[in-house]
This record gives sequence, structure tokens and C-alpha cells, in this order.
Amino acid sequence: MAMTCKDVWREVSNYIDNTISPEMRHELELHLSYCRHCTAIIDGVRNIVVLVADGRLFSLPAGFSARLRARLDKELFS
Amino acid sequence: MGGVAIRVMLSESELIRRILSGERELYYDLIAPYERMVYISAMSLLHNETEAEDCAQDAFLKAFCHLPEFKGESKFGSWLVRIALNEAKMKLRKMRADLYDSLDKATEGEDDEYVPQTLGDWREIPSEALERKEVRELLQKAVDKLPERYRIVFMLREVQGLDVAITAQILGVSKAVVKTRLVRARLQMKDMLAPAVKNGRLFSRHLFKKGKNPWL
Repeated sequence: MAMTCKDVWREVSNYIDNTISPEMRHELELHLSYCRHCTAIIDGVRNIVVLVADGRLFSLPAGFSARLRARLDKELFS
Repeated sequence: MGGVAIRVMLSESELIRRILSGERELYYDLIAPYERMVYISAMSLLHNETEAEDCAQDAFLKAFCHLPEFKGESKFGSWLVRIALNEAKMKLRKMRADLYDSLDKATEGEDDEYVPQTLGDWREIPSEALERKEVRELLQKAVDKLPERYRIVFMLREVQGLDVAITAQILGVSKAVVKTRLVRARLQMKDMLAPAVKNGRLFSRHLFKKGKNPWL
């Protein structure tokens, strides 16, 4: 039986993370071939995953390591 | 005396053994690879750079004091993340004693369906967009808006790149729960950013400045 949009949404993560069976991947890609909404959802989610994994996001504040070291020096090693 | 070269080669367990037998300054080498991870864990709950930094420092202090109890059943990184999340939870309790939404108690069923917006025209956000502070802030604000239990999973999995099994172990939930929360988080993030994508805020302005637009 063909996958519905809801079935696709449930498998979004598995599809993007490549933790999906070959059969399921085939079914899902079949659905994507005619459903532009689900294609847009997958593209959008993949986009987020790539961007968020980029180290420029949530980077350590400048001077973090030095302040950490100063605090540990003071409280543990002095 | 080439100390750095020697230290680089020490394994975590060797570092821990030597710290516990008195070479306490090796603690800096042990924690250096985990500074961002611990900070991000604190940020995932506290949303505030100063509070998160304080919390990360507390977590590293606590980890040092409890190092003799670290048995190596879990990875050192996961152990640190758990400590950081606990510290952040305690800080949060103090900050919003009455509003606290427990990390362990799901207020909504995991089985509720999340229906993503079906926006037809999502264009790719170029990763150069991240060079713009505005874009980074937009993404970080979207993460902040996720419900807490989705946000923590999202931060551990996507930002820190931990796998499902380790994330589940850290949070004390099943792998299935981690996966469900991650799907929700990802779809909600996409939906929150969709308006920004639609009106072009996530695209580099220079792309539109050069007069090379093929449709003109």
C-alpha cells in the first residue's frame, strides 16, 4: 500500500539520517516523486539539520576557556 | 620537555587515572574537548549565555569533585553532559520555581501527531548565510522556542552530534522516545523558520544586489 503523507512525516528523521530500510526508502521516494509538499518538508528539515550542525551556531562565548580555567584554578587548585 | 606531545597521546582513562593519583592539572586536558558540549547542554535549558557559562563552570567543578565516582560504564562525555543538564535543571528550578516544566515528566503524549506545515516552496538556505549574525540568531531563537523536552534532544543530537543511543542513555529514556522527539523538533524547527525562508530573510542580500537575477 502506498505511503500517505503522515507515514512520510513519521519517517522524516530515519530518511534523513539514513536509518531506514531499503524497502521503506523506495516507498518514501516513490511518494516524494509526486508529492511536492512532502518533498518541501524533507528539504526543509534536511536544511535545518545541516545548518544547525555547523559549528558557527552555538559557539562558545569569547574567552570561555580562559574564564573556566581561572575559576577552576581558584576553586580547585589554589 | 615535550609535555604537550605526551599529553595528546594519553587516553581518557589514563588521564583520569593520573588526575586521581594527584596530577590534577591534567584535568584541563581531559575536559578541553568537551567545553562546547557542556556549554551547549546548559544553553539548551537556560537560553542565556551568561547563565549557561556559569552553569558549565559549575558542572566542570562538580565533575572534578565526583571524578572518583566515574566508573567508565558510560562515556566520559555523556557523564559530563548529564552533570551539566542536572546543574542546569537546578539553576532553572531556582530561576522559575513555580513554572518549572519537569524534564522527566512529559506533559503531552509522545504519540500525538505533529502535522508539519506543508509549504510548497522551500528553497535551500546556503550555509554562507550563517556568516550573518542575524541568521544565527534566527536559528538560535527558533531552537529556544521548542518545548523543553524536544529542545534538549535536538541540541544533543543535532548540535552536538550525539547518536540516538547515547542521547537516550543521557536522558534516561528509550531510543524510540528520542527518535519521536527528534522528528517533532525537526519539523517544528522547519515550520518556525519557514516564514523567514519565504520572505527571504535567510538569504544573502548580495545575491539580489548584483543585478544578475535571471528572471529580470
